[in-house]
Amino acid sequence: MARRTIQIDLNRVEGDLDFQLELEGNTVVDARCIGSLYRGFEQILVTRKPKDSLVITPRICGICGTAQLNAAVLALEQIGRIPVPPTAIRIRNLCLMAETVQSDLRQSFLFFTADFCHPKYSQRGFYETARAAFLPFKGSVHRGALEHSRHIVEIIALFGGQWPHSSYMLPGGVTAPANSRHIIDSLSILNKLTRWFEQDVIGTGLDNWLALETADDFFSWLAAKDAHSDSAIGLFSLIGRDIGLHRLGFGTPHMLSYGAYDDPDDAETPPPQRKHLFRAGFLDGDTGELKPFEQAEITEHVRYSWFQPYAGGRHPFQGQTIPDYQPHSDRYTWCKAPRYQNKVVQCGPLADALIDGEPLIRSLYQLEGGNAWLRQFARLRRTARLLQTMRTTLHQLAAHPDGPHMVSPVEKEIPDGEGFGLVTAARGALGHWVQITDGAISRYQVITPTAWNASPKDSEGRRGHWESSLIGLTVDDPDDPVEIGHIIRSHDPCLVCTVHLLDTGKRLTVWP
Amino acid sequence: MAALLWLQTGSCGGDTMSLLCADSPSLEELVDEYGIEMLWQPSLSLGPAGKLDALVEAVIAGQQDLDILCIEGSIITGPNGSGMYDPYRGRSKMGLVRQLAEKAQYVVAMGTCAAYGGVHAAPPNPTDCLGLQFDKHSPGGLLPAGWRSRKGLPVINLSGCPAHPNAMTKTLAMLALGLAVELDHLNRPKAFFNTTVHQGCTRNEYHEYDVEDAEFGGKACMFFNLGCQGPVTMAVCNTELWNGRSSKTRAGVPCFGCTSPDFPLDHDLFRTEKIGPIPLHLPLGVERANYMAYKSLAHEAAPERVLNKTMDP
Repeated sequence: MARRTIQIDLNRVEGDLDFQLELEGNTVVDARCIGSLYRGFEQILVTRKPKDSLVITPRICGICGTAQLNAAVLALEQIGRIPVPPTAIRIRNLCLMAETVQSDLRQSFLFFTADFCHPKYSQRGFYETARAAFLPFKGSVHRGALEHSRHIVEIIALFGGQWPHSSYMLPGGVTAPANSRHIIDSLSILNKLTRWFEQDVIGTGLDNWLALETADDFFSWLAAKDAHSDSAIGLFSLIGRDIGLHRLGFGTPHMLSYGAYDDPDDAETPPPQRKHLFRAGFLDGDTGELKPFEQAEITEHVRYSWFQPYAGGRHPFQGQTIPDYQPHSDRYTWCKAPRYQNKVVQCGPLADALIDGEPLIRSLYQLEGGNAWLRQFARLRRTARLLQTMRTTLHQLAAHPDGPHMVSPVEKEIPDGEGFGLVTAARGALGHWVQITDGAISRYQVITPTAWNASPKDSEGRRGHWESSLIGLTVDDPDDPVEIGHIIRSHDPCLVCTVHLLDTGKRLTVWP
Repeated sequence: MAALLWLQTGSCGGDTMSLLCADSPSLEELVDEYGIEMLWQPSLSLGPAGKLDALVEAVIAGQQDLDILCIEGSIITGPNGSGMYDPYRGRSKMGLVRQLAEKAQYVVAMGTCAAYGGVHAAPPNPTDCLGLQFDKHSPGGLLPAGWRSRKGLPVINLSGCPAHPNAMTKTLAMLALGLAVELDHLNRPKAFFNTTVHQGCTRNEYHEYDVEDAEFGGKACMFFNLGCQGPVTMAVCNTELWNGRSSKTRAGVPCFGCTSPDFPLDHDLFRTEKIGPIPLHLPLGVERANYMAYKSLAHEAAPERVLNKTMDP
């Protein structure tokens, strides 16, 4: 059978990504995920003052800077054994949730659903409906998502000054209290977004939607009313399943979650033992067993990465990041290959929901597995949960008007030592590992969610999650493999991808 | 119509995210009302997009007009001057930007990275980054200091980390309408860079009476002790609020001077460097002796409500 290599470029927030795929006939037989941009943050941080990480690391990523800030501050608090008052935890959580809602809405309706308007589908029954809803700048849902994702981050501005890129979480708390004006402003922003979400995205009330607990509940709900099937989530589900996304793009079965949002009622307990509002854990895909998460079990490999080689995997506290660009070797990316208990894992909203025990996502997973449709569906399901949790958080803040937002006095200097900060960003497990020597940062290692998912092969030659999710995929037209775009985007590679195809010098374009 | 092409180089995507937050005008308004045609924007491509390759070739071949070229991100020249830490289809983005810039009526650096090098150029500058037409403070970056776009302007530097949402969309609207864009000595549009961050800061009354915070989380001014660069930084943060709501200094976060060519400064970002009790860097244009005299007088005149820090910022 004819074998050929195609190259797919992806443009995204955290850097640039290419995929190189080997096709036999119409079937993908090998995949290499290539992070092509190197920026050197870990080198920039070394020798700087510890707290400078709170300014530098949010700039790692324009779409999840709040999560980066939180990981950075948690690491410093661990090193300095600095407590954080419940009010500060609530404000941090509120801002993290707002950022994730922003990201999930943009990922879903600016980046993912636009694919349904691809000319490939022009003869399908859903085509005109899809365009009316999802066409960039024209479709009603696209425009709604543009507007409302803009408003939700105003909550972060109220507490942190601006979004993106602020530094309002400092060791011991946050820089500003939750005064009643900010609480009511935030509730108003939340009310407006919730109204749009109920009306246009789910076509029903938030409580009704969250009451759906089984796959049967969901499919009956979808068929019950025009308002449900015509909603954005209805259209996304009907179209996505019509084109078979529930049968594609599984990837590794192992799932990892660091747990999301520190529990303010457990503020006395320092991380990582502090409870979360959404549980941490490891779901072993081979046995179906849910196990406690242990950060010591994380390693990173560089066998196929452009870094100075070392044998096997290293824990981030022993990690090193020394660029060694060798374009003509079998090494192919700037991503390292993180592994958990020496396994290839995936992270993100699907993993988070399964590990936390979200009933509807679990039920759908038991029915059909971790497919591309469910991965995307889990992201939107999360939005509903977060809108509810943000409201609870705001009411709790209102109920504790005099709760301190910063411990005092805080030691000015962070002592020498090592610590880590683990958080759940919009795309999943984000970790910072920091060592401080003689008052300055001596090592800084970051593992982003995308590093887990976009991992290259490790020293044992095992492919990363995205890579393996494409193996065996059959495309209708290798010159225009739109199926690949759906699957890659279901993984949320930070920004809309520009998907190109390269075949012996002939360049073709995959839309959009 | 003004044809716009937006390219990301060494970037976190934060300027694109900031652009999505603009509301006066908004991005959709630029498209609907100001005649901006988005040939390409990495997160929002109109029409049958994914066509960056064909577009780039058409622009370089002179078959496609390019009115506004927006660059987001540092220009990465490493390793060894190859630019291959930031490649595009086997060549460097650096080279691609240079080719596209020659064809553009206007070139706009969106953010401090594209303007001056930014956070990626912080020591040890691992990827050898610089800005489009500056290398930190020094004129001349990827393009020489004397370079001019087809409309006769140098690269327009909309610095900021990220660039302010409405400063971006307003500048694009001005260019689309054909309005004159007057630049300062760092090639930033004066319309957005003739105001200090200090102007409009809600902690100003504390500053006025020399009531300064020594710990974070308070209500008073952060200039003397906590590293705030508001009085020495030009930006609209406190005169055109972020996300329509606030600013870092209002929320108790020091200004880090992110619109300046030397951002991020190479010292503790949360502490003010001082000579004796007075900051090393004084508000723009102020004489040290006069400033010290004014501060001690001001402190004497401070009302109790300010001295006791009872006023909310």
